[in-house]
Amino acid sequence: MKVSYNELKKYFDENLLAPEALAEVLTFHAWEVEGQEKVGGDTVLDVKVLPDKSAWALSHRGIAKDISAIIHWPLTHDPLREQRVLEPITHEVVVSVTTPTCTRYNAALIKGIKVGPSPQWLIDFLTSIGQRSINNVVDITNYVMFGLGQPLHAFDAGKLSHTDGYKITVRAARNGEKITTLTGEAYSLTTNDTLIVDGDTDTPVGIAGIKGGKIAEVDANTVDIIVESAHFDALATRKSSQRLRLRTDASTRYENGVSRGLTTNGITEAVPLIIQECGGVLVGYVDTNPTPVTRAQVAVSLSKINSVLGVALGMHDVETIIKNWFGYQCNIDGDIISVLPPFERPDLVIAEDMIEEIGRVYGLEHIVSVPIEPIPLREINKRFYYAEALRDALTEIGFSEVFTSSFRDFDEVKLANALASDKGYLRSEKGIIENMKDVLAKNAPNSDLFGTDQVCVFELGKVFEVEGERDVLVLGVWSKQGYVAKKDKKILDEAVSVLDSLLGVGVNEIGDGIIVIDVTTAVESLPQPTAYTHHEKTPDVMYRPFSIYPYSTRDIAFWASVDTTAEEAEKIIRENAGALAQRIDMFDRFEKEGRVSYGFRIVFQSYEKTLTASDSDAMMQAVSSAVSARGFEVR
Amino acid sequence: MNPRKGHLHPLSRIIRDINAVFSELGFVFADGPEMESTHYNFDLLNVPKDHPSRDMQDTFYVERADLEGEDIVMRTHTSPVQVRYMKHFMEEKARGSVDFPIRVIAPGKVFRNEATDATHEAQFYQLEGLMVDKSISLGHLKGTLEYFFKHLFGGSVEVRLRPSFFPFVEPGLEVDMRLTGDSAPLKLKDRWIEIMGAGMVHPNVLRNAGIDPEIFQGFAFGMGIDRLAVMKYGVDDVRLFYNGDLRVVSQF
Repeated sequence: MKVSYNELKKYFDENLLAPEALAEVLTFHAWEVEGQEKVGGDTVLDVKVLPDKSAWALSHRGIAKDISAIIHWPLTHDPLREQRVLEPITHEVVVSVTTPTCTRYNAALIKGIKVGPSPQWLIDFLTSIGQRSINNVVDITNYVMFGLGQPLHAFDAGKLSHTDGYKITVRAARNGEKITTLTGEAYSLTTNDTLIVDGDTDTPVGIAGIKGGKIAEVDANTVDIIVESAHFDALATRKSSQRLRLRTDASTRYENGVSRGLTTNGITEAVPLIIQECGGVLVGYVDTNPTPVTRAQVAVSLSKINSVLGVALGMHDVETIIKNWFGYQCNIDGDIISVLPPFERPDLVIAEDMIEEIGRVYGLEHIVSVPIEPIPLREINKRFYYAEALRDALTEIGFSEVFTSSFRDFDEVKLANALASDKGYLRSEKGIIENMKDVLAKNAPNSDLFGTDQVCVFELGKVFEVEGERDVLVLGVWSKQGYVAKKDKKILDEAVSVLDSLLGVGVNEIGDGIIVIDVTTAVESLPQPTAYTHHEKTPDVMYRPFSIYPYSTRDIAFWASVDTTAEEAEKIIRENAGALAQRIDMFDRFEKEGRVSYGFRIVFQSYEKTLTASDSDAMMQAVSSAVSARGFEVR
Repeated sequence: MNPRKGHLHPLSRIIRDINAVFSELGFVFADGPEMESTHYNFDLLNVPKDHPSRDMQDTFYVERADLEGEDIVMRTHTSPVQVRYMKHFMEEKARGSVDFPIRVIAPGKVFRNEATDATHEAQFYQLEGLMVDKSISLGHLKGTLEYFFKHLFGGSVEVRLRPSFFPFVEPGLEVDMRLTGDSAPLKLKDRWIEIMGAGMVHPNVLRNAGIDPEIFQGFAFGMGIDRLAVMKYGVDDVRLFYNGDLRVVSQF
């Protein structure tokens, strides 16, 4: 919610903390402040009010009240603590409610107003919080909503029928019933939606809790108005708002459960302001259900507070926080403090709710960390144990692990709400095999970069089929030419034998150099391990972005003296190949007639460009010169 | 050294390290299905149907229901494993084979129906943590996390808690961490980093798992493993974890 700093200041008599300091205080004691921005002479805080506090904190008063508790500065005035009486009562407006989704309906009839532009302070306020000024009447209803959190609406009474007074009815909509909202969009309703209708003509004039109807819009010619301040059911409003795809500032507040007790405060705040700014005379108020909101006390023990938060508060501290900082009524009986939450805080129900309030206002920085004493590990996760064993066994013989997407463009199990049309299904066993083929095809051309002429890859992951989900292992071997049995079968056979001995299941290649195993089933019949295999902590690695340019490879073979080690040979190459030599791999070594022959493959790649043949040749020239200079015979 | 040794995926690598750190403390590695019922993914975690708190996570729904007619989703978090594990634990306890405390981690894949970019994937890994006993406090949470970060990242670590909201905890918290000292990775050193959500397990969640919240209490946390890996290894785009490119994997 966008919060105007100037508006917040109206609740405090001293110089309120500067916006930056306020943002910090709120972040550590209430909610994140996601940004702040200067707008005209104001600063606007973007406050991330989360669902548990949205019933009361989607309002400047709610936020000011919380600031007051956090920094222990009293509010100069609190519209929610003032006794508000709906006087006088009028019978010129008769409201009847025939649906349980409306639990209270306050209305006020004001006659003889003059609709015009809003005063500058109001325009400034609305502009700063990103709202558009419409006219003085509508702006005041919005001002009160953003101020106190109570949604309000004004109808042009002149557009309603008047026989023996005005009649407002709140009823369930009929299937297919239509309404055009203030901004001109037409909606077709169902019996799950609630309507405000002109009781005489049964004409819909507003979608309850969501948006007013065009038909009774306040405009420049409006003289008499009926102001609505009502309470609508959270769930019903949410469902209507979702189905109609119409979310408004009003519906957001209702669906978050703004208190039923707030309607009177809302309307008595708005009416004097309207009369002040738009003229007119209050004829009177209507209230369909004056039963006050009663709240149950929330009891919590001091020991529970301390044991949950991990702090050492005394009862006096807790009492100070509740009574002086929050201003809530409470009584203390031994170790128990019972708090009476104010009507606008429906979120304070259980002991843990109070503990959270106490903890955050007291300051979470007071929580002292408690070291955890190790206890013996009670259980070894069999699936994880064998997954790790598979990873160890396969990486040991040269396979690398990949993770591929769980989504596919087509497969067995369909998502009801896919992110994109090519991600509309979950991968099955067939799908993960297809993923593997893609991985092999994609990586095979890069095999020189990995110092090999074949790519050996595996994935261990979930597949989703009509019967449910299970873990599979899929592995594949490809060379640049794809799977070539003559060359690639050897490592595949090795993998088969490793997997056979680990899992004790018959493993077969399914063609194209790919093996797939139902790991879930295989692991079920394996013994329960008693300890995890100890792995050395993995060494620190810093990732280096790879070049997007093609690489080129060059080979060099030379005769060296028989005492020349491979390390020495490689060192000469490394020192002379230049910075673009990404890999230097020995592919051949043999001794003959008192000499040793070395073959090395060098992979050149630039981060800045595609290397030309002459670029690579020049770098190779430097290598072979150095090898020759060392007295070795380049072959 | 084996010259032709293959490479572990960076996320497997970090999960291995995570399990090593937590198993030392006696935290059991728990798991659960990726395709989950709304009952476990939401209801039992105190996220009621038709409540605004369900909007906090964009959910993938699967086009079918389970045997009881429950909607099936791709789990939006690893938190359902909390309830699954606690239920399993209470059954075992009834047989007399185990007793409190509960110490659990649950690393696993989760899904969010969100547009992807360098810091967001629609599929990613999450690490759930849970500790339940008599008188477990936020102090234990802080202690556990300090221990974990110190062992995962090296160096000295500070942990800072801020108020937040997740329906399955109360109080709910955001956790920031800051690595200090000479052995802290340069990129992360001396900066506060928002790292995860946490809190005290909501009494409704304990109750749903058959644990009496009048006697037992505990903390839970959930953090993105991909994010931990990004920080630990300096990977600049989370999507690189899922593209099957060995130019990434071969560096690990």
